[in-house]
Amino acid sequence: MTTDTDAWYRRAGSNIWYFFNSLKLTLFLLITLAIVSIIGTVIEQNQQIEAYVRSYGMTWTKVIVYLRLHDMYHASWFTALLILLVFNIIVCTFERFPPKWKAILRHKTDRFDPGLIARLSNNAEFSVNVGVKDVGGRIEKALRSKKFKFMSSESNGEHYFYAWKGVSGRFGSDFIHISLLLILLGSIVGSAIGYKDFKQIYVDGMIKVPQADFALRLDKFWIEYYETGQIRQYNSLLTVVEEGNKEIMTKQIWVNEPLYYKGIRFYQSSYGTAWDRVDTAYVALKKGGKTEADDPVPVKWEELAKLPGSAYSVRVVSYLSDFAYDERTNSVTSLSPEPNNPAIRLEVYKGDKLVSTPWLFLKYPGVFPSIPGVKDDLVFSGYRPLLYSGISINKDPGTNIVWVGAIVMGFGFILAFFVYHRRVWVHVRSTNEGTRVKLGGTINKNQLLFEKEFQHIRDVIEKG
Amino acid sequence: MILSLLFFTFSFIFYVIAALLYIGNWVFKKRWLGQTATALSYIALFSTSLILIMRAAESGHAPFSNLYESMVLFVWGVNVGYLALEYKHGVKIIGAFVMVIESLAMLSAALLPYRFKSIEPLNPALQNKWHWLVDLLAKVGLEKYAIGWLDFHVFTTFIGYAAFAISFGLSIMYLIKSRAEEKGGTNQAIASLPDSTMLDELGYRAIAWGFPFLAVGIVSGAVWANYAWGTYWSWDPKETWSLITWFVYAAYLHARVTRGWRGKRCAYLSLLGFLAVVFLYWGVSFILPGLHAYA
Ligand code: HEM
Repeated sequence: MTTDTDAWYRRAGSNIWYFFNSLKLTLFLLITLAIVSIIGTVIEQNQQIEAYVRSYGMTWTKVIVYLRLHDMYHASWFTALLILLVFNIIVCTFERFPPKWKAILRHKTDRFDPGLIARLSNNAEFSVNVGVKDVGGRIEKALRSKKFKFMSSESNGEHYFYAWKGVSGRFGSDFIHISLLLILLGSIVGSAIGYKDFKQIYVDGMIKVPQADFALRLDKFWIEYYETGQIRQYNSLLTVVEEGNKEIMTKQIWVNEPLYYKGIRFYQSSYGTAWDRVDTAYVALKKGGKTEADDPVPVKWEELAKLPGSAYSVRVVSYLSDFAYDERTNSVTSLSPEPNNPAIRLEVYKGDKLVSTPWLFLKYPGVFPSIPGVKDDLVFSGYRPLLYSGISINKDPGTNIVWVGAIVMGFGFILAFFVYHRRVWVHVRSTNEGTRVKLGGTINKNQLLFEKEFQHIRDVIEKG
Repeated sequence: MILSLLFFTFSFIFYVIAALLYIGNWVFKKRWLGQTATALSYIALFSTSLILIMRAAESGHAPFSNLYESMVLFVWGVNVGYLALEYKHGVKIIGAFVMVIESLAMLSAALLPYRFKSIEPLNPALQNKWHWLVDLLAKVGLEKYAIGWLDFHVFTTFIGYAAFAISFGLSIMYLIKSRAEEKGGTNQAIASLPDSTMLDELGYRAIAWGFPFLAVGIVSGAVWANYAWGTYWSWDPKETWSLITWFVYAAYLHARVTRGWRGKRCAYLSLLGFLAVVFLYWGVSFILPGLHAYA
């Protein structure tokens, strides 16, 4: 027969509770976390697999990948360690907090065994040659001057004092542990329901924000420089646009200054030049038979521009930063976003008539005649790249929990490290040699401070 | 560069002489030696403050942006912490150890290669100011002097390092003293060290300051990273090592508070903690790759 109290689930429950209610487990977890974190800083995280093969060889790379040491902080075993720590902290806090709370609430008593005073870490026994009443007055004065709270009682000419201060300091560690839980909770919430994304927006372009009902438009992008030519800051002017083209707000963001809207943050994270568009191309006409081309004419993207002194107009319809022709598919592509081989495609009009759609190459002017049947040619002589602004998008509802945790932790630090729980017991009794005083006290930490305080109280009692 | 370099030279000299005076006071027990040493430490503190102020004036931003400046800040913090300790507890012998550490720190700052010393304009990610402070200072036209999360982060972190360094010095003294107490040695110099329980307690007090400061440093770094990159924690080596260091000291505190550890074992843990600090500060910057690598 098993009674209710040893039902298997209760036994299992209490075993699990016992397992987590252990400072040894805490030490084990902290040391393990420290050691694996060291490994994580030595093995560079989130590199290409080839990089590991190069540094560690094939066999070790297999081990690294198998144990996920290359993305350790996101590995399930690492998360498991953190979760164990969470349970460890929860159990420890809830096991210790209620008794501590009770002990501290019930500590007040003006009756105690005077014989115990001699066992306290700070204690003294001495005689004073004034009456019990006056000594009582001095004790009150001493305790008040050090801002102690106290209670006292008197019977048969014996006087008992019990004094305390800084009780709240005892709860500092509880605040610290709860704050750790909050911080871990915040990070779990963040990774569970938050997301991160990255978008490039061209000036005047618009992006739809993922998992949200609004869009973002880039009105302006600019870079500031120091006199030395180093980049000081880059900035984007962003406008939040809601359904029906309603403009909600406009804000200038830069590195360190995000835009916040509806729980989502937008960070200035990078910038660059478009690989498939230009802001303006410079096109020059080389009239038939001449060796020199005319002055180049700025042609804005997809806008028709007239070439002065001729019947031609041109329009830029395509741009590729690193032009390549693929024979198999008979199509053109860009090999990279770098401007290694910039090329534009034009629509060339003579009067109103489309006469050709040639590709022109910045680095290879005149390789193909651009207008068939005539001697006139066109030269692609330069361009103004179209800048994009790289915006990191981050939704992390856990962040606020983390900050609350940080504030609770700060509060806990103040209590744990700078508020000390002190208790003082005094027993006064009249004897033949005068008034005997037994004085004792304890402090939970910072013994050095208390020694001075204790000495002060003693001096006031002895000398008035 | 000129004025700050001048004050650096002065401070360096002051620290070395203060160290010699404190050692002299320890060995010869002459009151005037101790008093002069203390006076010189205050002068050195003033002079170190001037290095930082001059750097700020020369660069136009808070002087915490490279390794050299952070070393000066570290020295400043140790000096403040030590003088507070001496003022409160009146033990001058500790100064002999602390001022030697200060002199060595100044020496290593002086020996840094030029690229860790030169004043560089702040890159975009390092420009971060508190709006409310900018607005407040703008009223009196001083918005240029506003500071932000970055400055706060570096400052609190280094006050933490400074407290740990003091604890390190105290732990070494503790080990020397307790060994002598066990053997009942008669060495005069060691006998005049404060008694071991006091050294043990002071070492703990220093950690009780360093631990929250490092925590505030870590958290303010996270706040700043959240502004700059949108992630408050990215496990880069500096971040990870700061957490490791913090854990070591957490272990120290737990051992003391919950297990009642005192003395030798605590002193060794404190040495281990400081080893982690040194690695966090120098090792990570020079050996491991990451966002924080100075310059
Ligand atoms: C990363 C994890 C932890 C950190 C950073 C941490 C931090 C702290 C700090 C700063 C104190 C105060 C020390 C002092 O007053 O000098 C403390 C006390 C304490 N901690 Fe932790 N702690 C952690 C985890 C845990 C866990 C998992 C347990 C459960 C076994 C635990 C049990 C305790 C106990 C019993 C105290 C003493 C409480 C008191 O006497 O007021 N800690 N902790």
